Amino acid sequence: MIRMDEQQYARTAFLATRSDKVLFALSAAAAVFYFFLLLLYFPIGNRTLFMLLVIGQSFHLWQLLTFIHTVWDTEHEPVAGYVDLSVDVFITVTGEPRSIIEETVRAALAMEYPHTRVYILNDGYVAGKDNWRESVEVARELGAECITRTKKGGAKAGNINNALRQTNAPLIAIFDADHVPHPDFLRKCVRYFADPAMAFVQTPQFYKNAQDSYVSKSAWEQQELFFGPICKGKNRLNAATMCGTNMLVRRAALEEVGGMAEESIAEDFVTGLFLHERSWKSYYLPEVLAEGLAPHDLGSYYKQQFRWARGALDIIFRYNPLFRRGLSWTQKMQYLASASFYFTGLIVAVYASLPLLFFYFGLVPLEIAGMLLASVLLPYLFLTLYTIQLSSNFSYTFNALAFSMAAFNVHIAAIFAAALRRTSAFLVTPKEREGGSAFGYVVPQMLYVALAAAGLIIALEREGLSASVVNNAAWAVMYVVIFATFIRAALPQSSARRLPSLNLSPQIKRVADQARR
Amino acid sequence: MALYQSREAGHGGMFDALILIGLLSFVTALSLLFFADQSLRLDEAQSLWQTSRSPGAILSTVAADVHVPLHHLLLHFWRLLFGEGVEVARALSLILYLFNIPALYLLGRLAYSRSVGIFAATLFAISPFMNWYANEIRMYTLFALLATLNQYFFMRVFKLKDTLAWTPYVFTAILGVFTHYFFFLNLAAQGAFYALYRHLFPNGSRTHLIGTAALIFALFTPWVLYTLLLGEAVYQQPALSSPTTVDFFNTLAEFIFGFQGAQLNTVIVSLWPIALIVAFLALRKNVSLSNESAYFLLILLFSLGTAFVFSVLVRPVFLSRYLIFTIPALYLLLSALLSVYPRPLSRIAKEVTVALMLIALAASALRGASVEEEYRAASAYLAQHAQAHDVIILSPPFTLYPVEYYYRGLAPITTLPQWDRYVAGPIPSFSAETLEEDVAALTESYERVWIVLSFDQGYEEDLRLYFEENYHRIERLDFPSDITILLYRLRYDTQNARAAAM
Repeated sequence: MIRMDEQQYARTAFLATRSDKVLFALSAAAAVFYFFLLLLYFPIGNRTLFMLLVIGQSFHLWQLLTFIHTVWDTEHEPVAGYVDLSVDVFITVTGEPRSIIEETVRAALAMEYPHTRVYILNDGYVAGKDNWRESVEVARELGAECITRTKKGGAKAGNINNALRQTNAPLIAIFDADHVPHPDFLRKCVRYFADPAMAFVQTPQFYKNAQDSYVSKSAWEQQELFFGPICKGKNRLNAATMCGTNMLVRRAALEEVGGMAEESIAEDFVTGLFLHERSWKSYYLPEVLAEGLAPHDLGSYYKQQFRWARGALDIIFRYNPLFRRGLSWTQKMQYLASASFYFTGLIVAVYASLPLLFFYFGLVPLEIAGMLLASVLLPYLFLTLYTIQLSSNFSYTFNALAFSMAAFNVHIAAIFAAALRRTSAFLVTPKEREGGSAFGYVVPQMLYVALAAAGLIIALEREGLSASVVNNAAWAVMYVVIFATFIRAALPQSSARRLPSLNLSPQIKRVADQARR
Repeated sequence: MALYQSREAGHGGMFDALILIGLLSFVTALSLLFFADQSLRLDEAQSLWQTSRSPGAILSTVAADVHVPLHHLLLHFWRLLFGEGVEVARALSLILYLFNIPALYLLGRLAYSRSVGIFAATLFAISPFMNWYANEIRMYTLFALLATLNQYFFMRVFKLKDTLAWTPYVFTAILGVFTHYFFFLNLAAQGAFYALYRHLFPNGSRTHLIGTAALIFALFTPWVLYTLLLGEAVYQQPALSSPTTVDFFNTLAEFIFGFQGAQLNTVIVSLWPIALIVAFLALRKNVSLSNESAYFLLILLFSLGTAFVFSVLVRPVFLSRYLIFTIPALYLLLSALLSVYPRPLSRIAKEVTVALMLIALAASALRGASVEEEYRAASAYLAQHAQAHDVIILSPPFTLYPVEYYYRGLAPITTLPQWDRYVAGPIPSFSAETLEEDVAALTESYERVWIVLSFDQGYEEDLRLYFEENYHRIERLDFPSDITILLYRLRYDTQNARAAAM
């Protein structure tokens, strides 16, 4: 059992970011040096593979440089002041268990702010959920209001826009059904709206059940880098990411951009872009003021990641910031950097396939002495790792890294869906453990392990224990170790056997008991 | 949290002491069983010859060489006290190594924790590289021991603010620079660390460091002047080629896995991406690079990097044994890193590391006796077969040291090019133009010549071809490692030759 002080520590540690400009400069220099050596100096092997390697390295360079630019200075806070504006609190519900909704509604009603009305935005009916009436009952019992949509469309964004039309407070707080606000949420967020140009204030999407399972823990560790240095760094550039929950939005700003963007699966991200485009300001308040639930099994994680990836990639394929007027260059870079993160999967797949291509066909992208490559690549990679570690106040973990890399199949699926503009349903991250085996989600990773093992035998047969075989085997082992972390997440014991056990109300505990039964 | 997790698990000092005793016993047994009986190697023979002279002559000989005199003087008196045998001389290196094991434990315990100290000491005790030099009559175990002690006292000042540690720090620093020139790299790395972390040092540290530097300067300058006065060191530099990145990684591989065969070594260094996995797995929440780890990292990378860059840009001096003083830092970093892992993984990683190093040590111990420079066997063969009317020519000349040590035969020994060790100046260089004349002068009164070739200095083939073209080869023998003995008949006009011909 995690002690309470540890839980408190978990709420704050990831927000205590650090900055070391000498390290950042060294890291950037090492990356650029490696890139130019790769491009201009290293002898080329197979041209196609070399091009893929260059593309991959360009992507990594882009990621690192934009990361460093983002986290260069993470301490920026806009002017705050006294504001007396009423707030409508929206709790978006799509058939979540009653107890979870109750918990959130109670917390919303308990917020220390005088002028609030709490609304349950009930999409259970249009989503065909059997329990849609429960939201109505909860609202009646607890003294909130319930807006039940009867006309389908626009998913979560449509739900919010529907409520926008029926409410009138100048500020709107939005919470997902499972995100329980702290009593001081509004007190701490509203004051930033003293600036009439402030469109939204976003707070971290903290997972209170992070320690309940291997999957939820890894999912949260992956999030910490984003909600720590990256989000904090974006403040300096007025490019805070709208995350769709745990946020306070100015109605006028939302109305100016036509409400939440219904045409995108990542309505929040896109809406943030629209707001910035119209010169509205944003702020990421680095304090945990609401607590939600992480995906507790691989299926939930997969769906969440797919939705985020698909939505983020929409930014590139449909709303490319480069071609949108109104955004500053730094904002354009920030949106591109955030959205392009989900290309990681494609690059990982390319890189991971290099040892396999050597094993099976003897193809290599570079014909270079391994030690020369190591002497340039290792310093660059170690400096990059340390840059990430330091900027995240040493909250970045192997699991976070492994999940980011190993979920390549999710990212690739999202890339194709976004590029082909396939319609993707808005899948709410399940709040309960899904039944059935999760191994279906890790077939590509398991296949990789098998292909690597078989390939190694073929390569050994072909050229014995040569330096190239050993070196490629070591690379393959690295990917196998990383993928194994993800494969492990498919094991039944890696999923939450219970719902959150920390700091939870009796209602949620009851749900957990029900789920366990 | 620092780059380690303290997992003392209730073990007491007695437990650590027992492990250390076990490690010392293991090292001693290994030395007695496998290393002690090895043939004298070239450098060892040179050390024996140098230290067999008077202290004054030792100083002048060492000053003319590329080294500093402390170990030679120590070995000189050691041999006076305990005897002249190879085993006695090697025992000094072994004893210094044995002292280093608990010293490293203390350094690890001080910098990190007892468990890190014990594991680092374990790696040190099973290190194929260290065990190799623990059984060689050279200064390297003294060098490593002084570096460990010096770092221990430096760490005491830094971590415990123990200003009393300055005195032994200065003492070990002075001894260190008189043990090996590369000790200055250790001191320079400490200076760099101080520059970066000076706010964490106790008051007065800068004065102490400047004082140490001044004292070392004052004591070392006479030696430098003496060396320059003799003007011979420049001739004695090892013939090294400019290092490449392969040498850099080979050095790191040797530090962990010792001297392995070319193919196995290639396999080892080709596994470098594994270093990424090792680093990735250490990515844990709230685990940062501690000041102590930064210190050891600086000792390791600054020293290796400086030696490498200097070797590329100025003069090749990049040799793994010259950098032996960085091994304690490497093992401490490795131990601290593996201690960061989750407990089951940490245990597995440590066990795998120990197992791999033990395998490498076993390979090194078993291979060592048969593959290294077998001057003993070569000399024994010469002693048995060379006659009074034969002459033995060694090339290059410095291979005289080991052959001379073992050889007890009838035929006289000379070198080509001809060299008199007792005459100041460089070893004469090889000249193809005067070869015929030189050979004639060396062989004019003999019937047969034994050519002993090893340590090719670039003219071995010229020499061999000359004899092949001008004389009749009777015999050829090869000894490990790359020692070739060739026997040629010089003339047929002697009584013996005529008798042999009949």
